[in-house]
Formats: sequence, structure tokens, C-alpha cells
Amino acid sequence: MIAVLGLVVGVVVGLVVRPVVPTGVEPYLPIAVVAALDAVFGGLRAMLDGIFDDKVFVVSFLSNVVVAALIVFLGDKLGVGAQLSTGVVVVLGIRIFSNAAAIRRHVFRA
Amino acid sequence: MSDEHDDDAQDRRADDPQAQEPQAGGGQQEQDPQDGGAHAEDAPEEPREPAAAQPSGRQRLLAGLWPPRASRAQLTVAVLLFVLGLGLAIQVNTTSDNGGALRGARQEDLVRILTEVDNRTQRLEDEKRGLETQRSELQSSSDQAAEALKQTRQKEQQLGILAGTVTAEGPGITLTITDPHGGVAADSLLDTLQELRAAGAEAIQINDVRVVADTYFTDGADGVLIDGRPVSQPYVFKVIGNPQDLEPALNIPGGVVQTLEKEQATADVVRSQKIVVDALRPLKQPDYARSSSR
Repeated sequence: MIAVLGLVVGVVVGLVVRPVVPTGVEPYLPIAVVAALDAVFGGLRAMLDGIFDDKVFVVSFLSNVVVAALIVFLGDKLGVGAQLSTGVVVVLGIRIFSNAAAIRRHVFRA
Repeated sequence: MSDEHDDDAQDRRADDPQAQEPQAGGGQQEQDPQDGGAHAEDAPEEPREPAAAQPSGRQRLLAGLWPPRASRAQLTVAVLLFVLGLGLAIQVNTTSDNGGALRGARQEDLVRILTEVDNRTQRLEDEKRGLETQRSELQSSSDQAAEALKQTRQKEQQLGILAGTVTAEGPGITLTITDPHGGVAADSLLDTLQELRAAGAEAIQINDVRVVADTYFTDGADGVLIDGRPVSQPYVFKVIGNPQDLEPALNIPGGVVQTLEKEQATADVVRSQKIVVDALRPLKQPDYARSSSR
């Protein structure tokens, strides 16, 4: 419950405060958000499976974000940033879908 | 699911954080490296077997949602989800901002877009320049055409007055020659005409005959013929020109008026500010002569 409240508060604060993102971080934000979404879906699924662990969740969340940003950064440096970020989004999207499928099986038994 | 079962599950769930975390964490950490992701891939099968003993996923979800508990796990997840929500909101804001598409774009895309826009600007600039040139050409040519038309009209008017194809009006004199004894012959009229021309007459009409460059006077059986047409007395000259020049030219000693008076005729000169010369001649198209000015 508190976790859901945290999400809601985050969205509200982001919408109300409208913080300015530093230009250097701007290209990595969308990828980082998608990676974090992936981690959150993974965490939700683990919770439904009964194997949720907050330490694992924290580590996976942070490492997902950092690795995704790192890949995009590297891609930018190599000149294939657009393609690589597309690839990252595709992979994360697939994972989000499979996690969502597992969650659905748990919640709806279907 | 029965109510009892639900309560049972919740009770057990309440104890769970202490009881289950260590072992769950251990299992999770071992599985992590295999699938490289946050959580186990083969998890769906696992909880099926102990489903009877353990609470189902749905129950766990409900237990996690209600009642709210300030456990360490909840708080850490809340913090992370706060960060996620923040990022999400910022990103959505940025993207939906005006020009958000460009703000989120990476450098090479921006360079490409800029190049495209530059090219497009260049093309449009070229097109604009071409069209402007065309416009100014058309304008100047139409200006020239209008100017030429105006000049041509003026010239037509001037030439028309000379050729007697248009009516003319202006200051001048009226000369009336009354000749009861028939002493005035063609040569006298010609002399009068020459005198008027020499004095600067610009348009002349005798009775209803327009006098032009090729006008001729002949003596006929019962009077004078002008351009082959008989003219009856009195001879009325309508002359456009400067009246101050025309009248003295006729009245000088030994001039037209005195000569006519010697022939027993009377010449009467009246100045007027408005003389209308309205006798016309048909326009004659030359058969052989062509303008060589073009």
C-alpha cells in the first residue's frame, strides 16, 4: 500500500513541481524509466510468487536503470545510440510482457 | 476461497516478512544470475505445488495492499516507486511539452533534422527568389506595356488632331468671310489658310470641312470647292491656336483682311476661349507607306 502511495506521490510531485532535467541526463531518462518499469513488474511478479525480497528488488531496480543508461550512453559514443536504445526498449518490453503474463496468471488465474 | 482461508492466509502473511524473507531472498539471489533479470523465469511452476500450504498470489497481493504496514520492504519499494513515478512524470511532461519531440531526440537525430530543415529552407529560399524575379519581370513588363499604351494613346490623339480624325477644342478665333459679289476665289482662301497656319493654327475647319495637310481649294462653277466639296457662303473659319497670334496676323496692314476688303468682301474676326473643331475626316490607311520606326 505504501509502495503504491509512493508511486502516486512521485507522479504527483513530478507533475506539480515540473523539475528541470539536466541536459546531459535527458536522453537516458526514458530508457531508465522503461528499465525501472521492468524491475517493478518483475518485483510484482516475485511478490505474487511469494519470493519477493526488498534487497533484490532494490539491486535489480538500480542495476536495471544503470545498465540501461550505460548501454544507451555507450551506443551514443559508438554512434549507434538510436538503434541500441531501440534494442534495449524491445528487450525490456518483452520482459515486461512476460512478467505481466505471469502476474495475470496469478491474479486472474488465466 | 472461504473467509476462513483468507483470514488464515492474512495471518500467516503478517508473520511472513520475518519468516519468509531470508529464504526467499536466498533463493532469489541464486536465480538472478541465470536469467539476468530481476526475477525468476521459471517461477510460475514453483508455487503451484505448495499452493495448498502457501497463500496464492492473489492473496499475497491483497495482503500487501491492505492493511498498510510500514515494513522495511514496503518503505524501500515506496522510495523506488517514488523515483519511478517522478521519472515517469518528468518524461511525460517533457514529451508532451511543445517541441518535446526535439527535446527528447538525440544529437545525431537533431543534426539530421537540422540539415533537413536547412535544405528545405534553402530550397524554399531559392523558389522564393525565382518567384520574386518572375514577379518583378512581369510587373516591369506590364508597367512598360502600360506606359507604351499611354504614350501611344497620346500620340494617337496628337496625330488624330493633325489628320483630322478626332474632334479638337481650345482657344482660338472665328473668322467669317462674307462675299456678296463673289470676288473671293480659291487663291484668296488659300492665302488666308496659309496666313493662319503661319500664325500657329493647330486645327482648322472651314464651314463643315476639316482642313488638313492635303486640303486643296479649287474654283468651281458656282463657288469654291474645298477638297472637292462645294462650300457655301459665308466662309466660316474655326481656328484653334493662340488668339493673340492669330488675330494680328490677319489684321496686319496689307494682310488677309485688307486684301479681302479690296475684293469687296468683309472679314470678321472674333476671338473665343472655346472653339470646337468637330468636322471629321475618315482615317485613311496608307496603301504602300509603312512605318519604318519599328
